Amino acid sequence: MADYDLTSRIAPHFDRHLVFPLLEFLQERELYANDEILKAKIQLLSHTNMVDYAMDIHKALYHTEDVPQAMVDRRVEVVARLKSLEESAAPLISFLQDANLVQELRPDRQYNIQMLQDRFQIGADQIEALYQYAKFQFECGNYSGAADYLYQYRALCTNSERSLSALWGKLAAEILMQNWDIALEELNRLKEIIDSKSFSSPLNHLQNRIWLMHWSLFIFFNHENGRNSIIDLFFQDRYLNAIQTNAPHLLRYVATAVIVNKRRRNMLKELVKVIQQEQQCYKDPITELIESLYVNYDFDGAQKKLKECEQVILNDPFLGKRVEDSNFTTVPLRDEFLENARLFIFETYCRIHRCIDISVLAEKLNLNMTHDEALVWITNLIRNSKLEAKIDAVSGTVTMPVVHQNVHEQIIEAMKNLNMRTYLLAKNITEPAQAAQASR
Amino acid sequence: MASRFWTQGGDSDTEEEEEENSEYDGSDAEQPAGDNTGAAAGSRYLRGQASDSDDSDGQHRVVKSARDKRFDEMAATVDQMKNAMKINDWVSLQESFEKINKQLEKVVRVTESVKVPNLYIKALVMLEDFLAQALANKDAKKKMSSSNAKALNSMKQKLKKNNKQYEEIIAKYREMPESEDDGTADEDEESDSEVEEDPSKIVMSDEENEDDDDDDEDGHDEATEGDGVWERKMSKKDKLMDKQFMKDPSEITWDIVNQKLKEIVAARGKKGTGRVEQVEQLTFLTRVAKTPAQKLEILFSVISSQFDINPSLLGHMPINVWKKCVGNMLLALDILEQYPNIVVDDTVEPEENETQKGADHNGTIRVWGNLVAFLDRLDSEFFKSLQCIDPYTREYVERLRDEPLFFVIAQNVQDYLERIGDFKASSKVALRRLELIYYKPQEVYDAMRKLAEQTGTEDGLGNGDESEKNLSMEENRGPPVFVSIPELVPRKPTFSESSRALVDALVSLIYSYGDERTKARAMLCDIYHHAIFDEFSIARDLLLMSHLQDGIQLMDISSQILFNRVMAQLGLCAFRAGLIQEAHGCLFELYQGGRVKELLAQGFSQNRYHEKTPEQEKAERRRQMPYHMHINLELLEATHLISAMLLEVPNMAATAYDPKRKPISKTFRRLLEVSERQTFMGPPESVRDHVMAATRALSKGDYQKAFDVISSLEIWKLLRNCDSILQMVKSKIKEEALRTYLFAFASCYDSLSLEQLTSMFDLSKAHAHSIVSKMMVMEELQASWDQPTKCLVFHNLEQTRLQSLLFQMADKLVILAENNERAFEVRTGGGLEGLPPKRREGQDYTAYGSNRWQDNSASGVSQGRQGSGYGGRLGYNGRTGGSAQAGAGSRGAGGHYGSMGRTSYRATAMRASQVEGFAGMVNLSRAGRI
Repeated sequence: MADYDLTSRIAPHFDRHLVFPLLEFLQERELYANDEILKAKIQLLSHTNMVDYAMDIHKALYHTEDVPQAMVDRRVEVVARLKSLEESAAPLISFLQDANLVQELRPDRQYNIQMLQDRFQIGADQIEALYQYAKFQFECGNYSGAADYLYQYRALCTNSERSLSALWGKLAAEILMQNWDIALEELNRLKEIIDSKSFSSPLNHLQNRIWLMHWSLFIFFNHENGRNSIIDLFFQDRYLNAIQTNAPHLLRYVATAVIVNKRRRNMLKELVKVIQQEQQCYKDPITELIESLYVNYDFDGAQKKLKECEQVILNDPFLGKRVEDSNFTTVPLRDEFLENARLFIFETYCRIHRCIDISVLAEKLNLNMTHDEALVWITNLIRNSKLEAKIDAVSGTVTMPVVHQNVHEQIIEAMKNLNMRTYLLAKNITEPAQAAQASR
Repeated sequence: MASRFWTQGGDSDTEEEEEENSEYDGSDAEQPAGDNTGAAAGSRYLRGQASDSDDSDGQHRVVKSARDKRFDEMAATVDQMKNAMKINDWVSLQESFEKINKQLEKVVRVTESVKVPNLYIKALVMLEDFLAQALANKDAKKKMSSSNAKALNSMKQKLKKNNKQYEEIIAKYREMPESEDDGTADEDEESDSEVEEDPSKIVMSDEENEDDDDDDEDGHDEATEGDGVWERKMSKKDKLMDKQFMKDPSEITWDIVNQKLKEIVAARGKKGTGRVEQVEQLTFLTRVAKTPAQKLEILFSVISSQFDINPSLLGHMPINVWKKCVGNMLLALDILEQYPNIVVDDTVEPEENETQKGADHNGTIRVWGNLVAFLDRLDSEFFKSLQCIDPYTREYVERLRDEPLFFVIAQNVQDYLERIGDFKASSKVALRRLELIYYKPQEVYDAMRKLAEQTGTEDGLGNGDESEKNLSMEENRGPPVFVSIPELVPRKPTFSESSRALVDALVSLIYSYGDERTKARAMLCDIYHHAIFDEFSIARDLLLMSHLQDGIQLMDISSQILFNRVMAQLGLCAFRAGLIQEAHGCLFELYQGGRVKELLAQGFSQNRYHEKTPEQEKAERRRQMPYHMHINLELLEATHLISAMLLEVPNMAATAYDPKRKPISKTFRRLLEVSERQTFMGPPESVRDHVMAATRALSKGDYQKAFDVISSLEIWKLLRNCDSILQMVKSKIKEEALRTYLFAFASCYDSLSLEQLTSMFDLSKAHAHSIVSKMMVMEELQASWDQPTKCLVFHNLEQTRLQSLLFQMADKLVILAENNERAFEVRTGGGLEGLPPKRREGQDYTAYGSNRWQDNSASGVSQGRQGSGYGGRLGYNGRTGGSAQAGAGSRGAGGHYGSMGRTSYRATAMRASQVEGFAGMVNLSRAGRI
């Protein structure tokens, strides 16, 4: 099932630290050999400052107690650098840790800088040092510290470029700490900046958008309101274009979000269009399900795809999130997805049929249930007035009534706005005439 | 009057002929004949002349004066003729003509040659032109006095008869007014001078040299009168003089060479300067140049004077000169390679003595010149020669073989420019190279690669050897070359395995350094190339992302042509991939005006209502694509018509009773109407007939017959994988036949089993099911499946007579309201606010009206058209058009995937996007017409 694994495609769009959760997930799913993942992890860590962790992994991987000299050296170097950064940022940090002093800061940035300069001899260098220190903390894996410092830094920073990267850093830190609410706020802030900022090249702009979308996956599939937000964000023209241009694999998440979200059915048409356009570039069971359902009307195909979809969802780090319920684990998204996809299939199937055998229906929907269970399922649908149909219990079929628009209604519809138009015309003609008379 | 009428008829005939001769000199079938005989006749002619000058040199005084006298007489007569022409006096012109004929006899007797002098030929040509001009000007002719007109007519006949004798010479003269066929001329002259050299070395003294100089000046004076013969003779002496002063190599200094160069260059462009001679003189100078820089400078002059040889915009540079020019370019590049301190620059005026600095000079030496401009010119000359040569001759193939030659020089120039870091210029060169390969499928590319490799080993690029030979020959005769340059630059082009790799490399260079136009053209070439290689989605994405279709109207015409070619190729590619809708979207606009040939620059289309001026025609001629780059028009037409058929036939069936729906392809509808109007139907002949026959079968649901007719077309053989494409076409035809059948006959059925459908149209169950389901979901078909019995149940709505009449009435009331609104708008000039902009449909609708009402509505329509045309000024039209585009444009504004491909869902959206996406093509035609 490693065929549909997207990790290698999405990883380049993440920060190194954000790839960790993905690798952890893969390790858990055991899609790949454990050693391979461990090696990937070490590689990933080689450019971060989490040397201790890298050493641990190394030991686990090679079952030794020895650690390569390079790692040891690097550790010494990292510690030394941490020290020096800490020193240079110390004055500002000590200031910020004093709650009373911090209260003196005002919303006016210029004033703050001036004040710091005058009263505490904290200049631009120290502020810069704070940024470096925060970055270093982040690279060492101390995300909460990094988030705090970056927050402070943003309050004091005047350089917009720096401010942007600080924001990215903050977002990453919040995601890694799983503070979804704050992360969502940061995400929205970042989005506004990206949308309004003018980038040096369109390519650069595009890249930023794509990063944003990838990072947002963490938030949207964890935050309770994320399913709506993901549709809102990804279906914006610019973002949709970005997906089509450079990251068609994101279509999996878009498609899933649309299927799962009952209230956003209206997006389906748009989604189908995009999927059709990109079918050369990207294809996986989820998009294929939609294609066979809404382009080819191939229900057997849809049924097959639905089975594959289940596996894909279970193996996807974002979609296949587990929830531990007292004694057994479930994947909530999978259940929702299957339920909704079944509804989709059923709905479309009913639309073009007048009469369906219930057992065939049960089979088509991948419901592993008996005739009676299917009967109950359909009855529920009918009772919830989701479906206008009647069950013919004798022959074991569901029949859909054919509704025609009344001829009279049609004629009324056709003539309805004539009245309005004629009235408007008459008004337009008479008004100037009356005005002319009045003026005379 | 009758006789006059007849003569007039005859006149216009000859006039046309003559015009053709003068205008296209040697573009058509005349060319090869002219050339074949030209070689033989030319040499004979020249030999005559050579002996001529030999004579004069051998027995100086006596003969010369007698000859001079005759010539003077003749010249005087010519002058008389000129004067007569000025006042349009045909009587005296006739006299002069007879006189000159007599004089000719004398001259021939005196010179003892069979050849007629140039002067005479010139006079003949002059007369001929003037005659044609006079005949063309009919008004003036009517005004002439009777005697004058009579003289004109007799003159015409005489001249015709007389000129027949000299036909060849005249033709040749017209081709090259100043001199003759170069290759032979060159050789002859060389052999000439060789003969002369020996005696001159011994006999000629300095005095005579001076004499010659004087003569030279005299010659120039005379030359202003336009006497070719004298000019030639003098320049030959000139050359002789050069050789003399080069006799002792040690005496030649930089100054002398420099001065001579300036002298020659100053003569450039002056009336009477022989262009060929100038090239030779300069070529000679290159050998005696003292420093590499000077040599380079002179080489540049040689190249530019070689370009000068052909003055006309229409004709092309003689091929052998072109090849020599390539050789010179390579030589120049050799120099630049060997002496990296020499810089070619055309921005700053170099110092006077810059080139004096020798090879050992350390600093940079600036030489004035522009390699890219030379290369551009070479390319356009190559292009022009291919335009002019008849593609069905061997000559054309021979010429095509020179392509690698250009390729190698372009490659070298590009390498050089990249080495010196001038990426902007190198991107221009890269575009030139790209434009040579972008249209080549892999097979052709491979063939070119092989050819290049072969010729590379065989003769070192043909011309390389040739020029070497020439060089060695010259070296034997003249003094040794002062600055010898080894061949450093590769003489063989290198091609990468796949053309894709090469295109990618070139394109990426251009994208990063080129200017806007270069980039746009490169992008178009890239798309074209992708389309040839059946990569539709990549090509489409590139096109849409580049936004080229938005701005193409603003670009130059040749880029617009390229754009049209790209669209055509894209259409073919989409068709091959089975994307009928996309194929139609790409192609329909090309066929809208019936001027495909013009839009693709593959021929001319006649416009009945619009006469083109000669300038326009010439400009159009210059734009033509050479034959080997053509896109097969039959294939294109078949593709367009078949895709239109596949879309339109079901659409027609669906909307047969619903006039509100617009036709998808108006062109196709029109053709169909025309073919339906025929009383008697013969077997199909043209592509169009075939498709029409298929359409008739398809609209009855007879897929087999439709496919048989289509597959009997010849053009399928042109396709690489024609079997699979035919298979695709077959399955598409089946699908559409099923759809058409259901549309047309749904009302006759109450239910229809799936088995029956599958057996009728030979489709698989799943396929048929999917097609029918789609129709149901789209609400095209009022029916639903009955799953247990696997059959299709139709829900036909029976309307009572009263109800259908009511519907009709409702429709007509809508029209009435619309007409009222339009009338109001015409009156006030402004639109009503808040009304749905749906007028267009209304218009079409009224056109379909079929009963009494029609009389009224017809007037309404015309009024309405007027109204919309009128209101357009005030933005009314813009509103309707705008709303159509808004659907597709909304996303196109922010983004990339503007229009095409997103279309399949809604018919209206599709139309809008097509309007938007391919608007580029209409405008080219407008530009062409202006």
